[in-house]
Amino acid sequence: MKLNLKLVSMAAAASFALAGQAMAAPSCGANTGEAATGEPIIVGGIYGKAPPGDFSASTDAAKAYFDCVNENGGINGRPIDYRVENDQWNPEMAAQAASKLVKDAGAVALVANGSFIEMAVNAKTYKEENIMSMAAACAISECFESSNIVSTNQGPLPSNLGAAQFAQEELGSKNVACIGFNIPNNGPWSCQVVIDFMQSRGGDGSMQLLNPGAPDVNSALLEAISTGADTILMNLPAGLAIAVLKAAEEQDLRDSYVWIAPTPLYDLSVPAALGEYWNGKVYVNTELAPFQLGGPDAKNWIEVMDAYARPEDPRDTFAQSGYLSATYFVKTLLMMDPKDVGDRAKVTEAIKNISGYTSDLMCGPYYVGDTDFHMPNHAGYMVQIVDGGFKIVRDCYEFDSAYFEPHIAVEKSLGLR
Amino acid sequence: MNWVVYVVVMITIVSFLGWGKPGKIIGLFFVSGLAVGSLYALGGIGMVVLYRATGVLNFANGAIGAAGVMVAWQLGQWGVWGPATWAACILVALVLSLGYGRLIAPRLAWREPVVKAVATLGFALVILGIVSFLWIDDPRRFSLPTDKTGVYILGLRVTVTRLIAFGASIGIVVGIYFYLGRTQIGLQMRALANDRDLSALIGIPILRIETIAWGISGVIAGFTGLMFGDLIRLEPSVITFMVIPSIAAAVCGRLDNLALVLIGGLSMGVIESLLTLSPVLKGVRPIAPFVIAALVLLWFQRGTRLTFDGKDQA
Repeated sequence: MKLNLKLVSMAAAASFALAGQAMAAPSCGANTGEAATGEPIIVGGIYGKAPPGDFSASTDAAKAYFDCVNENGGINGRPIDYRVENDQWNPEMAAQAASKLVKDAGAVALVANGSFIEMAVNAKTYKEENIMSMAAACAISECFESSNIVSTNQGPLPSNLGAAQFAQEELGSKNVACIGFNIPNNGPWSCQVVIDFMQSRGGDGSMQLLNPGAPDVNSALLEAISTGADTILMNLPAGLAIAVLKAAEEQDLRDSYVWIAPTPLYDLSVPAALGEYWNGKVYVNTELAPFQLGGPDAKNWIEVMDAYARPEDPRDTFAQSGYLSATYFVKTLLMMDPKDVGDRAKVTEAIKNISGYTSDLMCGPYYVGDTDFHMPNHAGYMVQIVDGGFKIVRDCYEFDSAYFEPHIAVEKSLGLR
Repeated sequence: MNWVVYVVVMITIVSFLGWGKPGKIIGLFFVSGLAVGSLYALGGIGMVVLYRATGVLNFANGAIGAAGVMVAWQLGQWGVWGPATWAACILVALVLSLGYGRLIAPRLAWREPVVKAVATLGFALVILGIVSFLWIDDPRRFSLPTDKTGVYILGLRVTVTRLIAFGASIGIVVGIYFYLGRTQIGLQMRALANDRDLSALIGIPILRIETIAWGISGVIAGFTGLMFGDLIRLEPSVITFMVIPSIAAAVCGRLDNLALVLIGGLSMGVIESLLTLSPVLKGVRPIAPFVIAALVLLWFQRGTRLTFDGKDQA
């Protein structure tokens, strides 16, 4: 079916983009080449998968990496027993999933969680149970403003900001209209920072909020236009952003505005879905390294996916961030005293002590720290949709906002600046 | 009397929501609302046509349309000629509708209307489940050649596709009106809708008539799916649940009067769109169709009294 064909072709495209890579065995954990046979270490993961969205790419990629680690010595001979649950975008099921993994199964940590719902529901539980969630596909404020959740992905706030900053600095934008979801911990939270940023640079901004199920994106687009904006920021999942662009195409608005978007539009299917009309006209912020860069970790990610993931598992940004969370988690466990890796309190302490991990998949260092907020990833790339693909138009750059002042203070205290 | 009230209410609402805004902006939102409203109306008309003939309120219309347009998109991806993909969409919708109409609906023929309606909801979820399994969540776009050309109305560029949707909603209302009023099958459909038992006794071929009704409904659902996929977005769940505002449009016509369904759908689209202009009220846009439907029902049943057996008494 199309699903499988498309994902296989995406995988092939991603592999091809990393041209020149040797078909070597992936590097995982201790790399002993021997399967781990000791007592399993239970690790949990929660993802959201039900119409209209699928965030399972992050846990799929983490599972692939853990499988690879388990075949390469595990954690000092102990395999990782990675158990994943689907919250189906249902708060009750999200709470049940956390309870099952954290309280019943006794997981030492949660890795690569990806959901719109789960973090808001379970942040308190994680704190009470003293367990860390090294998430990978976050989209709401609770994921970045909680003591026991840290994510490798950026979420909409930094990615929006990065896109607006690029537009203001490179494309002459003065007034940005941010079209987002009418969900307080998503749309208003992530659009407001763009408005603040534009005003801090002498410009202006506004937000137009859509109900997630709203069929009519045309009104939001017209509302954005009526504000006098010169730039339209589509702070939406790819499907809705495409609908906004289609409505704009209907009105032939392409050349009258600057069109920018955060990471969700960085999807290999998007350029073809948009068509020739938008060639060279849409700029997208990417929160992790664009696929064509192909650094050592990016190559290893693809090798792990090819060797251990299912062919239909996506090779996308959430898969990158899931892989990255899993590698950071394994690295942390391998540095711990082997007798402590099954002790949740010790694992939590070790995760909170993470500082200065680097990867070519991420612009800045990864750290956690013992704070009530975590957003280590607040720098990124900009790409432009050109000739059916993505062209990098700005290399790693840090996003400029007062929002990051507390984060920068933590980075200074950890000696990362 | 009703028409006068309707015109006064609409003028009041448009004036209130557009107060202080430039005429061009109001025009943009008005025309945009008409475009969305014609889709609500189209969905509602398909439901009412079937309901009038079979007594089944088909919640699966959206899912049937979604399945059709996904097949059309898939065939397009495989390089199949455009018109053949559109025909495939209609055909898939026709087959699904007829399949339900012939295999499942007759087994529920003597059950209460609510049971029949809930059964179609189950059918909708089965279709949505299969469609979501076959086509995972992924950015897609479905376009028709008629998207390329358009005309400017009150400052808004309206594509030929939107004009087709608008024209079709009117055309179907007129066509069905004459079909039901002037043809033998139309007469039999009306008889069936009035009293199924009596219709059977006087020799009306119930199964044949109902099959035709399900077929017509399927074709309308397929066409609506094509329009939704192009003009709303190509997401099966969104298209499936477009049936909800369509129900509100159908309720405006009290599941009977197609002209009122059309006007109700268009009015809902316009009011929903104009609510965007109000900083205070734009948050209630998603519930606007249902509030309007409830108000219309209250207006039409004024002076009547509901009894426990469900019959109205003057």
